[in-house]
Amino acid sequence: MTFKPKVGLISCSGEACSGGNISRAATLEVLHHLRPNETVTICLPLFLAGDDAERDFAKHFPTITIDGCNKLCAAKGTARYSSEPAVKMNLEDYAGNYCRSDDERRRIQGSSKLVGKIAQDIASHVDRLRD
Amino acid sequence: MKKVVIPCSGIGKAFGAVAREATYLLADAEYSDTFRTICLPLLMTDDEESKQIVLESDVYTIDGCPKKCASVLVRHAGGNPVMEIMTPKVLANNKEHKPETVLDIGDGGRHLADDIMRIILNHGGIE
Repeated sequence: MTFKPKVGLISCSGEACSGGNISRAATLEVLHHLRPNETVTICLPLFLAGDDAERDFAKHFPTITIDGCNKLCAAKGTARYSSEPAVKMNLEDYAGNYCRSDDERRRIQGSSKLVGKIAQDIASHVDRLRD
Repeated sequence: MKKVVIPCSGIGKAFGAVAREATYLLADAEYSDTFRTICLPLLMTDDEESKQIVLESDVYTIDGCPKKCASVLVRHAGGNPVMEIMTPKVLANNKEHKPETVLDIGDGGRHLADDIMRIILNHGGIE
């Protein structure tokens, strides 16, 4: 029997951008429903606020970063404080700039198809990394 | 200058989701003329615009666990929060307001977010 490591998923938190809410929702969909036994996560800011055990996350797990905009905080933060991500995903590759006006940023219900598409693509990357 | 509310990212815990909900109650709802939020991870990538906002504003942090990521990152950027809220400590005063899960904080979590919003408002967020 071959040991297959779990895959790390790091989403930007994107509080001020609806793209961050979508990347977060897609990541949670994979973690809780699509690949619950094959994936792990950690809060992105813990790479700075935490200790060495947390900063070793992307060294131990092949890691997918899921960003909500072109600032790529998840990819940059993971590379800077932990290790280079195996896969870097960016919502803007799917839907352009999604940082809408303030009063729209929580309304991701209308984006459920987009969340589903990104979640499926994350799951595909998880499967490929574990092959 | 608006006051700034920054929650932890809290993707793994219901308390983090509550912190986020409380932030939106202030920054996106009826108090949006007074409060705004910024993306916390921008402070770990040394984004200059975000650092300036933190340095020039009254900053309220809302954290969901003892790691206190939001407070630590504000200090990393050179800021000093005027108030640091720990979501579990607020729950200790309102134990019936227990959140459910990170996917759905439930009615208890929404009440807890409301509690946090009121703590910040009572601190002087609204003149």
